[in-house]
Amino acid sequence: MKRSIFMLATALSLTLGAAGAQAAVSPLDLVAPIAQYKVYVTKELDAFVAATKDFTDAVKAGDLAKAKALYAASRAHYERIEPIAELFSDLDGAIDSRADDHAKKEKDPTFTGYHRIEYGLFVTNSTDGLAPFADKLMTDVNDLQARVKGLTFPPEKVVGGAAALLEEVAATKISGEEDRYSHTDLMDFQANIDGAQEVYTLFKPLLAKDAKNEAFLKKVDANFASVDAILVKYKTADGFESYDKLSKKDRKALAGPVNTLAEDLSKMRGLLGLK
Amino acid sequence: MDTAPKAASPAGGPHAPSRKAMRLAIAGSGLLLVIAFAAFYWATSLASRRKAAEAGDAVAVTVTDSACEPMDLTVPAGRTTFAITNRSNRAMEWEILDGVMVVEERENIAPGITQTIAARLAAGTYDITCGLLSNPRGKLHVTPAQAADAEPAAPALLAFIGPLAEYQVQLLTHAGDFAKATSALAQAVQADDLERARALYGTARLSYARLAPAADLFADLDTRLDARADDFGGREQDPLFKGLHRVEYGLFAQNTTAGLRAPAEALAADAHELDQRMATLPLQPDRMVSGAARLMHRAAGLEAMGGAEKYAHSDLADIQAEADAVLGIANLLRPLAQKASPGLPARIDADGAALSALLAAQRDGAGFPSFETVAADQRAAIAAALTTLGDDMDTLGAALGLTTAGRSAP
Repeated sequence: MKRSIFMLATALSLTLGAAGAQAAVSPLDLVAPIAQYKVYVTKELDAFVAATKDFTDAVKAGDLAKAKALYAASRAHYERIEPIAELFSDLDGAIDSRADDHAKKEKDPTFTGYHRIEYGLFVTNSTDGLAPFADKLMTDVNDLQARVKGLTFPPEKVVGGAAALLEEVAATKISGEEDRYSHTDLMDFQANIDGAQEVYTLFKPLLAKDAKNEAFLKKVDANFASVDAILVKYKTADGFESYDKLSKKDRKALAGPVNTLAEDLSKMRGLLGLK
Repeated sequence: MDTAPKAASPAGGPHAPSRKAMRLAIAGSGLLLVIAFAAFYWATSLASRRKAAEAGDAVAVTVTDSACEPMDLTVPAGRTTFAITNRSNRAMEWEILDGVMVVEERENIAPGITQTIAARLAAGTYDITCGLLSNPRGKLHVTPAQAADAEPAAPALLAFIGPLAEYQVQLLTHAGDFAKATSALAQAVQADDLERARALYGTARLSYARLAPAADLFADLDTRLDARADDFGGREQDPLFKGLHRVEYGLFAQNTTAGLRAPAEALAADAHELDQRMATLPLQPDRMVSGAARLMHRAAGLEAMGGAEKYAHSDLADIQAEADAVLGIANLLRPLAQKASPGLPARIDADGAALSALLAAQRDGAGFPSFETVAADQRAAIAAALTTLGDDMDTLGAALGLTTAGRSAP
């Protein structure tokens, strides 16, 4: 009998707790973590501009080996801050669209940006004809930096960004379609996870103020640790293993915790009163 | 729930409760059961009703290989659920765009699949994407609706989070600049480089002017950093006279770095502490606006009295930096102000431009001249323009529901 009383009381407190969840965090508590997130994004963008400069310089200098080597690490900065970067639809299309987004795929003249250059470097295996794409990419990346500087970050996009990044991983990275020419997907993958973890870490102290969130935080921490533990197995001296080396089973092992994380992190907006 | 309850001790054990207590417990648990079931039923039925309402009222959009169907949508302002069906042969994302900015999006909708997306939209015309980047975009017309119009003139606290966070980022930047400039200033003093120290004083002063609207939030440091000689019994000779103006006094009145090492180092240390504190400054919308208003009124009073920079006479540059900081705050609140009081943002812009024009008229090639050379009527005009801007900020605070009334609201 005591057991059932306990369980009923638990059920009751859960029901009531769900109704009162929004009151736990004051809107003003969100200001500092959002500001810190902008500081993070700004630093990543500074690094992205510098890395894109090195990458496009190598492309324009015709240094195929160097351009190939710089490709994955330079675009990782973009992948970390995608929740904000992709708010600018025109630049997102110009910098990060895939061939599939264009009618004539790889041959489409509007196909530009990182993946267009990736196609040249890794499929055509040459820097020939890539200089105009390199110049345009650099211009677009500079433009992105300027626009983000002037942007007031929408709170719900910041908090929702953690889940958005994981959904992105689940939807396009596991299949290997993002970096289909270079197979550097794991670098993007890690960058998306890092970006999500940054958002989560910034808001975690607020969530931890409410004892009801303890189980949630524990679970999210554990799943981040699982994903990191899997990824670390594929780390090499200068990046990650080529994604085409991962078996179906390997990919599936990644999908599990990633999907759970995406689902759990999508609750953050509600828990922080940003429905 | 992870925590497993302890197994109940068998009845009749050493601590068995009395029969009466047991009966009470059973009755109590029965009541709990009823309440819990009622609460559960209420919660689930509410959730399912909400879900049904969302799916039922969803605005359907189908995306084919070449276009959206329909290409033209009209919905009332407020919350709308869209059901997007992908009838093209590739995975796609669907976005609602305001200019180039994404308002809402649903990524990676697989071919043949329908996904829903809920968006809270203000009245206006938006673009919708339709698959391939080269495909023509559709239009989404959002008409003013009763529900959206009924939105109170004063925005909710939630609406201030974005602007406040952006303001905090700007303060962090200025505080970082201030710490850097004061450190360099201390080094220049250490090296007895008077010219360099004077130039760096100017840099530090301007960074601090940009922080000034928020000075109330670090009043203790502000007293150490920005106190004037007049605030002390012994004026310039008072041992407690420290901070920016103490350094200014040495560099510009005594024309030497002698005796400035300790004050310059203390200044740099305080600036560093301010920088550290900035990330956790408890920003609030009312203080953001009232601080700006107070700064302008205070500046107006000081300029009328002959200026704040008694030794360097760099008031014109300071005023411009302070006004820029105040206008920056107004700019962050522009979208909210435009809703609450259409026309007010344009008025603030105009009053800011008028002040800048008055200041610009004083410029002499390289920069601003000494405030001593500014004629009395010009000083009065600048003070009046500062007062106007201060009044504007009071009006803004009232319009946003942050204060009960503006100082001289019309």
